Amino acid sequence: MTEEEIFAVIRAQIVDVLPETAGIDITLDHSMRDLGANSIDRMDVVIAAQDELGITVPGAALTRAEDLRSLVAVFRSHLSTHA
Amino acid sequence: MKQVGIEAINAYCGETYIDVPTLFAARRLDDSRIGNLMMARKSVALHCEDAVSFAVNAAKPIIDALTDSERDAIELLIVGTESGVDFGKSLATYVHDHLGLPRSCRLFETKQACYSGTAALQMAAATVAASPFEGTKALVISSDVARPVPHTYVEPSQGAGAVAMLVGDRPVVAAFDPGANGFHSYEVMDTCRPDPEAEAGDTDLSLLTYIECLKGSFTDYARKVEGADFLDTFDLLAMHTPFPGMVKGAHRAALRKLKKGLAPQAVEDDFTTRLGPAIQYPQQVGNIYAGTVHLALASTIDNAVIDREHRVGVFSYGSGCASEFYSVSITPRSQAAVRAMGIREALDARYELSMDEYDALLTATAELKFGMRDFTFDLDRFPQITKERFTGGRRLVLAAVRDYHREYVWLDGGAR
Repeated sequence: MTEEEIFAVIRAQIVDVLPETAGIDITLDHSMRDLGANSIDRMDVVIAAQDELGITVPGAALTRAEDLRSLVAVFRSHLSTHA
Repeated sequence: MKQVGIEAINAYCGETYIDVPTLFAARRLDDSRIGNLMMARKSVALHCEDAVSFAVNAAKPIIDALTDSERDAIELLIVGTESGVDFGKSLATYVHDHLGLPRSCRLFETKQACYSGTAALQMAAATVAASPFEGTKALVISSDVARPVPHTYVEPSQGAGAVAMLVGDRPVVAAFDPGANGFHSYEVMDTCRPDPEAEAGDTDLSLLTYIECLKGSFTDYARKVEGADFLDTFDLLAMHTPFPGMVKGAHRAALRKLKKGLAPQAVEDDFTTRLGPAIQYPQQVGNIYAGTVHLALASTIDNAVIDREHRVGVFSYGSGCASEFYSVSITPRSQAAVRAMGIREALDARYELSMDEYDALLTATAELKFGMRDFTFDLDRFPQITKERFTGGRRLVLAAVRDYHREYVWLDGGAR
């Protein structure tokens, strides 16, 4: 799975949880905090994205991701090692 | 097999509170986040209160209501806490003394973050169940005092409180379902108290871990209890409540996993029906750590409509982490017994602190450092709070530390 495909899944979940971000050009440099997500919203996005991707990443790895670029990298590395 | 459970329960959540929107405004926090917290007020400890005095004040009405022979049947006292006052000497020693419990009694303290009270409760239940004697009792108290971290989003939920439970073979308040306990525990660094004054951690990681544990411990429960269903088996739920918004998020995430395809409105309705009663007291008190799950249980028994026997699913979580999902049955008699303790009335009667008083209390509380050999408290430092409230000697407070020994008094000098 490419970086773009993983990012598309995350972006769709962000818009789903935070409908007000629909008009924003969400980039890899954004963090979910930048986009107005509170702790519950962030949890909703990462759980839903994992469901969509069919993976379960340990929480400690997920919360080390400071922006969407590093979140994509965490998911991508998990997908490649658990393929 | 004899029935084992909770014979009596009482909460002591302090003498004072701060209004959460007031705290948000004073700290210039983003008030759009109040909705996420779902908190109205939080309890604040006085400078002369510690986890020992909270524990004693919670248990005192339960002990006072016992006959001499019932009190002498208490053969185990466990205090669950993450607010210990000494590395070796347990809080339970002081608690045992000030409650006047018999010397023919085991006593110790448990630690596993917010799970410590559940660890204590389950060990007490096992002791009573294994006893060949009728009427054996155990007293379990969960007691914690926060170390508020000013100017953070954690501060508005950092409360103080204790919940005492008498465990025995006449479980009027709640009867345990024997063997119906699911566990899920593993090492993770989410939140901790790395030194005597600080609370540290990662809220996001704690939230994710809590949800994983809810799913994991319920799955273990369902493996042991034939036909168990997260939606249908329990009339009510009571969960560890760091802040009620977290319970709401976790409930939603768990239902999405365990009950795929449930409509968002059905999830919302289920939260209101089955968890609404349990979050009422936590909304008024904040996180009281070890006791929070038991405060949620007392809240649901006090505030739900209970017209027949109900089954309550209880979820306990402690950072680090350990978790348990178990179930109890309650009846209309349970509600009458819990309401008679007057928990809601006591919460409503707390003194409302101004922001200045709140900050002054935090400053005063910080003066006694962990490990100090000698210290004397000025019990008249906040006369506007203490003079009126303590007339009659109704509360135990910490008066001094002498050669490391903590000296407590019933305020107003009454020897009890």
